[in-house]
Amino acid sequence: MERQYGDFEIVGENYLSYEIKVPKRKTFREWIKEKPYISISVLLIIIVGCVFPGIITKSAPAYMDLSNTNVAPNSTFYFGTDSLGRDIFTMIWYGGRISLFIGVFATVISTTIAVIYGSISGVASELIDDMMMRFTEIILSIPSILIIIFVQAMIGQANPVSIAIVIGITSWMNISKIIRSEVRQIRNSEYILAAKCSGASFFYILKQHLLPNFISAIMFMVVTNVGSAIGIEATLSFLGIGLPLEIISWGSMLSLAEKALLSNYWWIILIPGIFLVSTLVCITNIGDYVRRNNNKEFSNL
Amino acid sequence: MSYYGEGVERMTTTQKVQAMENLGLNGPLYKQYINWLSNAVQGEFGISYKYKQNVTTVIGDVYKNTIVLGGLGYVLTFLFALLLGIFCTLHEDKLIDRIICKVGVVTTCIPSFWVSLVLILIFGINLGMLPSSGAYAMGQANNLVSRLEHLILPLVVLIISHLWYYTYMIRNKLVEEIRRDYVLLCKVKGLNKKEIVCKHCLRNIMPSYISIMAISVPHILGGTYVVEKVFSYPGLGTLSFESAKYHDYNMLLVLCLLTGTVVVFINMMAQIINDKIDPRMKHDRSENDWNDNTATLK
Repeated sequence: MERQYGDFEIVGENYLSYEIKVPKRKTFREWIKEKPYISISVLLIIIVGCVFPGIITKSAPAYMDLSNTNVAPNSTFYFGTDSLGRDIFTMIWYGGRISLFIGVFATVISTTIAVIYGSISGVASELIDDMMMRFTEIILSIPSILIIIFVQAMIGQANPVSIAIVIGITSWMNISKIIRSEVRQIRNSEYILAAKCSGASFFYILKQHLLPNFISAIMFMVVTNVGSAIGIEATLSFLGIGLPLEIISWGSMLSLAEKALLSNYWWIILIPGIFLVSTLVCITNIGDYVRRNNNKEFSNL
Repeated sequence: MSYYGEGVERMTTTQKVQAMENLGLNGPLYKQYINWLSNAVQGEFGISYKYKQNVTTVIGDVYKNTIVLGGLGYVLTFLFALLLGIFCTLHEDKLIDRIICKVGVVTTCIPSFWVSLVLILIFGINLGMLPSSGAYAMGQANNLVSRLEHLILPLVVLIISHLWYYTYMIRNKLVEEIRRDYVLLCKVKGLNKKEIVCKHCLRNIMPSYISIMAISVPHILGGTYVVEKVFSYPGLGTLSFESAKYHDYNMLLVLCLLTGTVVVFINMMAQIINDKIDPRMKHDRSENDWNDNTATLK
């Protein structure tokens, strides 16, 4: 039906008449095609295997079979054994559990810090905001690996929780910067004012109004942070200042690599590394998908 | 503890107390720190517990190695990033571009220490072509060829692990740039693709390129540290890992201070250069720029 205008006419760019597209129902194939399904399924396999390692393998990860050290992959030891005689196939799954735990836990810590710090900085007055942002810039300008080494050296002997905390408190800066600029944009809007007038506390506003607004903007960084935390843990453990050899993770498995290098035991180096890398690639892919999804215009419905 | 090494276990209690006294380790932590700070301001950085030498002399021995590795890696990374970025822009959305993009994304995910391990395994052990540790072969400290040989693998790792990060930024900026109107004008004038991109578009993305370069200094420096450790290349990175391992706090503090100073100094320099190149930057500072970068990272 065409619209009839009487005495007045609506002009200006605000008045746009366009058709509202009704999204077509997608078939399952179409729906799955836009998701990074390969990454998701590979990651899912790794996660399930690591959370329930008992299903896949029956032997204990720390069992040292000293008569079978440095055995190349064969039918009993699918991935071979390391120089302490431990079965790498078993260790992969048990070690993955700790690696994934560190990744997730470190991200939870860093995101919490980032959310609180970023929102305080966003709602604070100009001066305080400036100071807080200078502070993050100073920390950002120091190589993060150096900070981590420094904090780790202070703490001393590492365990999974302490290493996750160290990684968490050294990797929140980027997220908090994004949150701060998002909060700056919405802090003067009416609904925040209304909430303030009715006596809402800072944390209530944060939870009810700020968080839903910036959550999509930081989501992809959160996902990629999980990956980078796993990577940092592996790097630290490999370099000998992370997890000790007894606590099995992908990183500490690789810390045997330097001895393995000289005698050309490739499986000790390659296999944990391939697991590590494929996990990281999957996580990055998913993070990328999340970011692309967020850039899409949301429907007004 | 790190000063006396294994000897600690054989010491009597009185000796221990004496040793603590000598090294100034009694008194609360903040007092020790203030002590260190007041000495540091006067140029007294104390001794390294591990090497039992002045911290400055230990660092003085190795800092050149890091500068060579880091500097070369830095320059080459940005050179290749620029070239690859231009190449990708010229072939935008063609097969080769897409392949490069996919491979690039994968390379950023791989931790650099693993790349070095694999490269050592292939080139160092199996093929035996390149040396895999140290900065020069035994007793050939002045032999340039030997030094270069030892540089190849660390450099390759350094470049691989950072290249795509920057290529992607440059590609994004360029792809945005070639959608502008003036490019159409150039095309109408009859310039060919390469000329437009190299002569006109590049000049426009230069300011952001330079600010990216400045921001990336800590990033590449951090990468250098890890790579140095894996290849046991005598440099600041290996030194800092060693001192963390042996609780050599004096050394660690100085290394942090040094790195921080270098980074802050370079950031300031980049700001000045930026103001010179593009006077517009003075007004909207690096704030926006930085946000742009974080959005395009990864």
